[in-house]
Amino acid sequence: MEAAAITKPEREKNIALVGNPNSGKTSIFNDLTGARQHVGNWPGVTVEKKEGKLIFQGQTYNIVDLPGTYSLGAYSEDELIARNFILFDKPDAVINVVDASNLERNLYLTIQLLEMGASVVVALNMLDEARARKIEINIPRLAQALGVPVVPTVATRGEGIKELVATVAKKVRETICQPLKVNYGSEIENELDKLEQIIKQYAKLAAKYPARWLAIKLLEDDMRLQEELQKEGARQVLDQVVKSKKQLNEILGEEVEAIIADRRYGFINGLVKEAVTRRQTLEERLTLSDKIDSIVTNRYLGLPIFLLAMWAVFQFTFKLGDPMIGWVESAFEGLTGLATGWLEALGAPQLLISFIADGIIGGLGSVLVFIPPIFLLFLAISLLEDSGYMARAAYIMDRLMHALGLHGKSFVPLLIGFGCNVPAIMATRTLENRKDRLITILINPLMSCTARLPVYVLFTGAFFTAKQGWVIFSLYLLGIVLAIIMGKIFKTFLFKGETAPFVMELPPYRLPTLKGTMIHMWERGSSFVRKAGTVIVGVVVLIWVLSNLPLGVAYASQESLIGRLGTILAPVFKPAGFGTWEAAVALVFGIVAKEVVVGTLGVLYGVEEDGLTAAIAQSWTPLSAYAFMVMTLIYIPCVAAIGAIRRETNSWGWTAFAIGYSLLLGWVMAVLVFQVGRILGVG
Amino acid sequence: MTSDLTVSPAMQDYLEAILELAEKEGVVRVTDIAAKMGIAKASVTQAMSTLANLKLVKQERYGPIELTPAGRQEAAKIQRRHLLLYRFLVEILGVDARTAQKDACLIEHVVSPLTLARLAEYLEKETGIRHEEVGGINEGKEAVAMEALEAIDTRALSELKKGDRGRVVRIVAAGEIRRRLLDMGVVPGTEISVEGAAPLGDPIEVKVKGYHLSLRQKEAAAIFVERL
Repeated sequence: MEAAAITKPEREKNIALVGNPNSGKTSIFNDLTGARQHVGNWPGVTVEKKEGKLIFQGQTYNIVDLPGTYSLGAYSEDELIARNFILFDKPDAVINVVDASNLERNLYLTIQLLEMGASVVVALNMLDEARARKIEINIPRLAQALGVPVVPTVATRGEGIKELVATVAKKVRETICQPLKVNYGSEIENELDKLEQIIKQYAKLAAKYPARWLAIKLLEDDMRLQEELQKEGARQVLDQVVKSKKQLNEILGEEVEAIIADRRYGFINGLVKEAVTRRQTLEERLTLSDKIDSIVTNRYLGLPIFLLAMWAVFQFTFKLGDPMIGWVESAFEGLTGLATGWLEALGAPQLLISFIADGIIGGLGSVLVFIPPIFLLFLAISLLEDSGYMARAAYIMDRLMHALGLHGKSFVPLLIGFGCNVPAIMATRTLENRKDRLITILINPLMSCTARLPVYVLFTGAFFTAKQGWVIFSLYLLGIVLAIIMGKIFKTFLFKGETAPFVMELPPYRLPTLKGTMIHMWERGSSFVRKAGTVIVGVVVLIWVLSNLPLGVAYASQESLIGRLGTILAPVFKPAGFGTWEAAVALVFGIVAKEVVVGTLGVLYGVEEDGLTAAIAQSWTPLSAYAFMVMTLIYIPCVAAIGAIRRETNSWGWTAFAIGYSLLLGWVMAVLVFQVGRILGVG
Repeated sequence: MTSDLTVSPAMQDYLEAILELAEKEGVVRVTDIAAKMGIAKASVTQAMSTLANLKLVKQERYGPIELTPAGRQEAAKIQRRHLLLYRFLVEILGVDARTAQKDACLIEHVVSPLTLARLAEYLEKETGIRHEEVGGINEGKEAVAMEALEAIDTRALSELKKGDRGRVVRIVAAGEIRRRLLDMGVVPGTEISVEGAAPLGDPIEVKVKGYHLSLRQKEAAAIFVERL
């Protein structure tokens, strides 16, 4: 049999990687696939899909890293994705990463996998940590009790990975996999039997789902499956579910799902008792992690430490990133000069030279300037997450953020937004709940990023020299207030329904690994270039085309397409006090990057940056200038942020919404400022 | 006889308390219920919204609580069940009133309708009185019931202080929160200890099954524990 299997050219084997968050699943994935990774999205959702290749003894394995989950229910997108992949994509084997130092809760997922009849190999990870906590696990006994291979690993040091691969290679050749049967007690078992019998009468259902598993899930009130059964017209099954639940409630006097969860944990308890010895009770020993927590989440020290950490992340990302951005910029300036000289020498037409230098190279430049802050931020975030501090940050900030209708984990992305909205939007990945994530993404551009500062400085310098600081501060404050209001509005009207539970694990503090951090950083940076980059280059080229056509016009003059667009748009901004074509064109350019507004005004007024303040003081009033700054703050996120929104929401619809609402809000606020100001007689 | 069983034991306790207060005071407020049952107002508010969802109580915002006809029927049924058990313990088994009161409180949540029906038949045969004809329980029931409750010391997890330990008795949340808690190992019978609270007071940190978990106060209010 085996010889025949080897001689045949075998297809690629699919291996799924499943495990609790913080179980070291990502480390195992990195160990297995190295740099051969591909990051995408699961179709139609914001959840990221990671795949990688592994070649072992001439056989290629495609490893799919499923989202980290605690269970395989139907409440979260993550759980549904993981469950559907195992049920419908039928991977040849499932590697279940289990944290040995937290065995009971981790095995809860294992049991569910086994109940589904998945072909499981358990990677018993973090054995070093378990040993440090005096937890001794009898691995052969655990394997025997579970009925599947158990391979000890310490993924952060690459220990046990070879054995894991060999075990998986053996496992994929096994064909029969009997689902595990947890005994739920005679009362529930009776009802399960009845349900199973009826399910088996529906051929379509029986082919799609393991009958017993489906019966259990139905008793557990799984809404997705109930809906599906309704669509399939499996009336008899649903009727029996209602009857069974009623019957069980009468006998057991408690809700069935609690009893099922209880029995599962009871089963695990039995396993753990058999295979694990603890040489010291956990209660007696204060772990190092507990000691750190007693300081880091301390009632008085917790907040200051948190703010200090955030300040450090911010400084690290932007103070360290700024000079690097300078390098990228000067590199691109050099490149532009080089290309221009070279093309001129070849005698290329001026328009082509400009297209390549300003359009293409300029476009690429505006993507790559984001690389330093994105890499640095994700280096910092990766350290925060892998060390376990990110969970504490959410824990500390949740009270405040929850009052605003958000989640504790929303704080970090919003704070980063003051530096740059692009990495900030990408940082919303840490939020598991889709609603919380979308709201945090949508309001993020209202955090006044550093690119808007040059605009504020220019206009306040021209009109508010005495109170420059206060005026700029008022704009930052306005952004925050609007973010809070919009967040509430979105929550009330767009994302109705139950608030997501906060119930969150506080994992023990761990030392992050260099490899994990580097891969995480590289992944984010490169995915930004690939996914958001196309959008950014596209828009930059489009703006170039608009500024240079029709042929023969001066760059961005009133006769160019963009100038004509500005002339058409100008009346729209009249109620806001800046109804000139120059202002409108500057705003269009501002979509490329908000600081470009300043340069554009310089070109349009025909002055250098030094003379700009004087030029502006002539054609604007303090009030219209303030309204214009408000507009610059709010209207349309810059193209890089748009690219990031598109990438992170995985939806053009939400991207369009983010653009549309901010444009409308910006206009309304600018008009409000100007009109109210006029009535009050300011300016 | 079957509909009451969709109401969880904790909710049954609430209904019973509301009915008793309504009969004694007329108007029922969250404060009264909290005082009577010896639990936090936040827990009561949470429970009232659950009961309102089940259409068992009506409550205008910040107004008094009223039982709906269905709720009244439900509560009456629970009260009758309590009385039946109490009578059986006292009249047939000769248990003293105090113990009977305490045990009836416990048994009423787990006993099956079938057993109850047989008990009623047996009681009728032995005493010659139909259970339906018996009026309210004798004086002093409330005081005894309160004492009994205190003796078991069941309270919401949110009321425990740092360092306190308890055993999960039941979870009164529904939907996603309930599911999530069960998945995370917060199942009846599990030991749970309060490790602390965030600097702003909410959420709290607990230890369960050997690991640390954080929950909002509101979520902790839905977990009833027996203090250890």
